Amino acid sequence: MAAPLELSCWGGGWGLPSVHSESLVVMAYAKFSGAPLKVNVIDNTWRGSRGDVPILTTEDNIVSHPAKILNFLRKQKYNADYELSAKQGADTLAYIALLEEKLLPAVLHTFWVESDNYFTVTKPWFASRIPFPLSLILPGKMSRGALNRILLTRGEPPLYRVQEVEAQIYRDAKECLNLLSNRLGTSQFFFGDTPSTLDAYVFGFLAPLYKVHFPKVQLQEHLKQLSNLCRFCDDILSSYFRLSLEGTSPAGQETVDANLQKLTQLVNKESNLIEKMDDNLRQSPQLPPRKLPTLKLTPAEEESNSIQRLSP
Amino acid sequence: CQVVKETYLEQSTEPWPENATLYQQLKGEQILLSDNAASLAVQAFLQMCNLPVKVVCRANAEYMSPSGKVPFIHVGNQVVSELGPIVQFVKAKGHSLSDGLDEVQKAEMKAYMELVNNMLLTAELYLQWCDEATVGEITHARYGSPYPWPLNHILAYQKQWEVKRKMKAIGWGNKTLDQVLEDVDQCCQALSQRLGTQPYFFNKQPTELDALVFGHLYTILTTQLTNDELSEKVKNYSNLLAFCRRIEQHYFEDGGKGRLS
Repeated sequence: MAAPLELSCWGGGWGLPSVHSESLVVMAYAKFSGAPLKVNVIDNTWRGSRGDVPILTTEDNIVSHPAKILNFLRKQKYNADYELSAKQGADTLAYIALLEEKLLPAVLHTFWVESDNYFTVTKPWFASRIPFPLSLILPGKMSRGALNRILLTRGEPPLYRVQEVEAQIYRDAKECLNLLSNRLGTSQFFFGDTPSTLDAYVFGFLAPLYKVHFPKVQLQEHLKQLSNLCRFCDDILSSYFRLSLEGTSPAGQETVDANLQKLTQLVNKESNLIEKMDDNLRQSPQLPPRKLPTLKLTPAEEESNSIQRLSP
Repeated sequence: CQVVKETYLEQSTEPWPENATLYQQLKGEQILLSDNAASLAVQAFLQMCNLPVKVVCRANAEYMSPSGKVPFIHVGNQVVSELGPIVQFVKAKGHSLSDGLDEVQKAEMKAYMELVNNMLLTAELYLQWCDEATVGEITHARYGSPYPWPLNHILAYQKQWEVKRKMKAIGWGNKTLDQVLEDVDQCCQALSQRLGTQPYFFNKQPTELDALVFGHLYTILTTQLTNDELSEKVKNYSNLLAFCRRIEQHYFEDGGKGRLS
């Protein structure tokens, strides 16, 4: 029997079950293959480990790294690639390599290296989920790790400078997005009608880029222009992560309700005020109607004049 | 400013000169597995485009290259290194092997080229710089061979440190040799399944993907290492062996167009 599988990973936001690409890949694969996963979101208590996330724990195994976790799940008979042909399996490996080589550097840069994004979005988000004083150290470490990875794989020795490679990695990432969009075309998933490992990886990499709100958004803008990729992410979110969406949409509805409540309260207050004014006016001592100097009016204007005097 | 613009345009539309040269490290004593594979891939690509190039071996080829990687080609007064930029440069001159492919096929081709770079090239680098047996017996001696002591040791250690840093950054630092060989097997299996029974990856005509795969596989098959495990992994797939033989015969032995040693 399947031992209880527990996954510890970073939590969600902006409508996503997780903001961390690798965690999202594993979650998506588990949904596609039907593996029962208990998700433990890392929070700012000292429980649970934080390094090398996502981590899958079973009774006697601890597995880290998305590729190893997916292999492990496949061995436990949770296989999302069951219906793929050999060639499609080969294509999967190739496209995953394309994602890691061409798209990942730019995604890492957008999240962790671009200073506006890092200091206003990424660092506060992660720091709020890590206990003090580790929250002062760990985000910085993750940022330096991301920069390192970009420079060592794309930079030129011996002087590694990030400005030299920035333009190139964004160009490569945009090309990669275009290639993915061409490959997806109008079909629902990359290989027919059922999602597979490749869909999990593409979703994991694209969804955070698509949904998280950044100040500096050039890659996000490019992604939003590729409507079939956006539709792909939204489809998976709504069909496979409906529970999480429901978890967030009551909150969304609550905010809508709260706004509506505030608005009705305001309107009620206004109408109360108006009623009070009305009452005051009625109760105030009635002055005799002043004789207005009669003007030479046409019959229509006389009518309107009399109507004016009737209303309070 | 106007004059500079014109000469730049002229250069990119100039025909391929007769004296184009490709630089790599010394073949017999210095060049390593991964660099040999890259150089062979470029040579195969140029042969497939029918562009003549002369191979020149220099001990300091790595330092001459604009990006620090070999091989690089010297055409007219431009210097371009690495297969990707060379393919684009050749395309700007009007020669291309992948024009006949549609968008989906081009995406597939690029994806498979990244697969080779991601898995095969990284595995080669791992084997020659992170596996202690190979490093001690082969790599250190070869890498520093043109230089006098102590420079040969210093350069070799420096390069090893650089490669180990890179391996750690991409998550290969903790892999064992067996895991790396398993990755190579997976990659070869994917390539073999994609190739199937076709003569080239995109049926009748070779493309830059064929050149890249040939460069790596041929080098793995013909390089003597401390053990044969790497080449055994490739030998498991007969269609890949036939593929290498076919390209070797067609482009390197046929009419003496080029020479492979």
